[in-house]
Amino acid sequence: MTSRSLVSVVDDDESVRESLPDLIREFGFTAQAFASAEEFLASDYVGQTKCLILDIAMPGMSGPDLQQVLSMRGQAIPIVFITAHGDESMRPRLLRRGAVACLFKPFSDTTLLGALNAALQAT
Amino acid sequence: MDARREEPTEEILRLQRCIDDMFSLLEQPAILHGADPGRIVPGILDVLSGMLQLDLIYVRLSDQHGAAPTEFVQVARSQDWATNPALISPTQIGRTFKHLLDNAPQQWPSSIRNPIGDGEMSILPLRLGLHGEIGVIVAGSQRADFPRQTELLLLSVAAKQATIGLQAARLLAEQQRTDNELDQRVARRIADLVAINEKLRQELAESRLAEKHLRQAANELRLSEARKAAIVDSVLDCIVTIDHTGRITEFNPAAEQTFGYSRDEVLGRSLADVMIPPAMRQLHQQGMARYLATGETRVIGRRIELTALRADGTEFPVELAITRIPSDGPPTFTGYLRDITQRKRSEEELRRSQAFLAETRRLSSTGGFFKRVATGEIVWSEEVYRIFEFDPTLPLTLERILTRVHPEDIHSFNEMLDRQRRGTDYEHDYRLLMPDQSVKYLHVVAHATRHHDGQLEYMAAVQDVTQRRLAEEALAKARSELAHVARATTLGALTASIAHEVNQPLSGIITNASTCLRMLAADPPNVDGARETARRTIRDGNRASEVITRLRALFSKKHASTETVDLNEAAREVIALSLSELQQNQVILRQELKDDLPSVTGDRVQLQQVILNLLLNASDAMRDINDRPRLLVVRTEHDKNDHIRLSVQDAGTGFDPKGAAKLFDAFYTTKSGGMGIGLSVSRSIIESHRGRLWATPNDGAGATFAFSVPLRSEGVIADPSLGAIWTSAVTDTPQIERTP
Repeated sequence: MTSRSLVSVVDDDESVRESLPDLIREFGFTAQAFASAEEFLASDYVGQTKCLILDIAMPGMSGPDLQQVLSMRGQAIPIVFITAHGDESMRPRLLRRGAVACLFKPFSDTTLLGALNAALQAT
Repeated sequence: MDARREEPTEEILRLQRCIDDMFSLLEQPAILHGADPGRIVPGILDVLSGMLQLDLIYVRLSDQHGAAPTEFVQVARSQDWATNPALISPTQIGRTFKHLLDNAPQQWPSSIRNPIGDGEMSILPLRLGLHGEIGVIVAGSQRADFPRQTELLLLSVAAKQATIGLQAARLLAEQQRTDNELDQRVARRIADLVAINEKLRQELAESRLAEKHLRQAANELRLSEARKAAIVDSVLDCIVTIDHTGRITEFNPAAEQTFGYSRDEVLGRSLADVMIPPAMRQLHQQGMARYLATGETRVIGRRIELTALRADGTEFPVELAITRIPSDGPPTFTGYLRDITQRKRSEEELRRSQAFLAETRRLSSTGGFFKRVATGEIVWSEEVYRIFEFDPTLPLTLERILTRVHPEDIHSFNEMLDRQRRGTDYEHDYRLLMPDQSVKYLHVVAHATRHHDGQLEYMAAVQDVTQRRLAEEALAKARSELAHVARATTLGALTASIAHEVNQPLSGIITNASTCLRMLAADPPNVDGARETARRTIRDGNRASEVITRLRALFSKKHASTETVDLNEAAREVIALSLSELQQNQVILRQELKDDLPSVTGDRVQLQQVILNLLLNASDAMRDINDRPRLLVVRTEHDKNDHIRLSVQDAGTGFDPKGAAKLFDAFYTTKSGGMGIGLSVSRSIIESHRGRLWATPNDGAGATFAFSVPLRSEGVIADPSLGAIWTSAVTDTPQIERTP
């Protein structure tokens, strides 16, 4: 069941959008990549997404902003935040607001898989 | 009237004669016409006496103007007393009829006692005029049958004819009289007029003469007045005249302007009330009274200074001279006043300026010297002796001066002496080595002049700048230390940015490598996928390497260098480095870098440090902005005078325009984060590139910081110490931590 789940990646960094979906597919999930929160919200994949891998700092709508929008819409998609800013202080706040995990780039494949599994179990 | 019977033939003859007479009579008026009564009456009397056998004809003409009547009388020649005029005077005859004259003819008796002879006389009175207003004719005859019918008829006709003639004569006479009278009146009037005219003419002539004199006098007066008025009106001094009671009688335009009153306002008013401050009025009035009483004065004929009062109540100093106008009668005075506010102020300013100069010289340890180059004559001010610590009483020689010049500066001192011989203005810094081995720094500014004899002279200011030098050195040291602090702050802000820049490609590398391994580990292995991910790994590795290279370029340079810098490229690199910092702060960055900008010459790293500083400042300024986009615009463009301008515009909190000058002070900052010190160093860097760094508030929100550097900064030597400050701040981390 989980093996076919759709994992959506939202990150403004192109190299992340290129590399991460391939790894996720290697894990056995379906993957879609979006360059911004707005692009994701406008797509047809919001309802199907079982887990969201979300960059925190993006131009325009940020990761936490998107989290809030989804929450307000009642679309409780499990979220794994990723960030290149090693700011520990952000993690507790994001977790408190319902994020499954918050990963600092660079992270290992196993760390990511663990977070994905945790997210998909949460549903 | 009875007609008497006569003989027929005789009767016919008589009638015949009567008719002839009648015609004669009827022709009379034509003859009589135009004559005066004095001729008419005798004419009629002649005709009647010729026609009729009358013994007496009496005519009385009343005077229409109430004068005595005119009487005529004629008697028949047959009467022997007819020649005796005394007996037949008209007056006498008239007296005979006097009592009858007022009666109507019907009431007259037909006969009276003969006034000119014996017996009775038959009389016939005939009125002249309808009511006898002209007079009366009385015909008398000694015949008892008088008048017969023909006589009555002829006499009646004669009376009528006489009346007509007399009336005409009267009218004529009246007319002539009126004419005469009129003529006389006219003549009198004309005579009067002529007399008057003559009198007038004389008067006119006299008056003209008088007028001419008057006009001459007036002309002279006017000329004199005009001259006086021109002087009074145009002089710059206020001229005010007063009478002996102190009332103003003249007030010239200068006075109007100075005192703020119009002439009309003050004429007749008391000088004391108008122009003298209340505190001094009594004194003025006492002085005036004393002068009038004793002729004793402290002001008249002298030039004094005192305080005057304007219309608006303000007081001002005036110079006053009062003269007594030489004239008869009570004395009058003219006051000449001059507003000396400006002079007073100038005097005060000069005094203050001199005091200020003296004080400033003392405070700034500035002395002056004078030198004649040809003779070597030198004059020093006291202050120069004090600076050199020389005894002013000993002779001043070049040799003596040279004993004080710092041995290391002897060479440049001699160069200065060479320059003096060339006669150019110069500035020179050198040091003195004092006997106690202390060092003094001197700054000399010298101006060359030619004396009127053509000799070259120098006037120079010598300033002991030791304290300033020491302070500058201390300041430079303090600034260097402060720059470390600034760098530490900037570095802290940059660390996250650098980490992000490096972490992004690292993240790609690890993810791709993981994927690659998994693809290879699959059964069957996904070799194509693995190859692709390995390729991406290499690309991300290169990307990380580029980031490191940029960082090294930015921070590892030890010395400032002069090279050709493309500002657009330099800006792009800095933007790339700070992009994540900007993104994290949700800044929307817009680049408006003008294509094909010429390069500038300078130190690339130092300029990039300035750009970075401006970018991070702009980002910080928008940290708390939530009601509008956090728009940041980086712009490059041509500036005037062959400069290139780079500006960074934010939409942040902006700054108070009044604080603009302070923005670049080392300790001034609008942020709690304390980045302000970076601006001070940034400005130093730009100024070392002969450029300018400034800040302006935006029309809307936020501020724009910009710098402008010249296209080809010939001979620019970027201050290596500044680069070193920045570099050491980055590379020498332990030192930063030690810095308070």
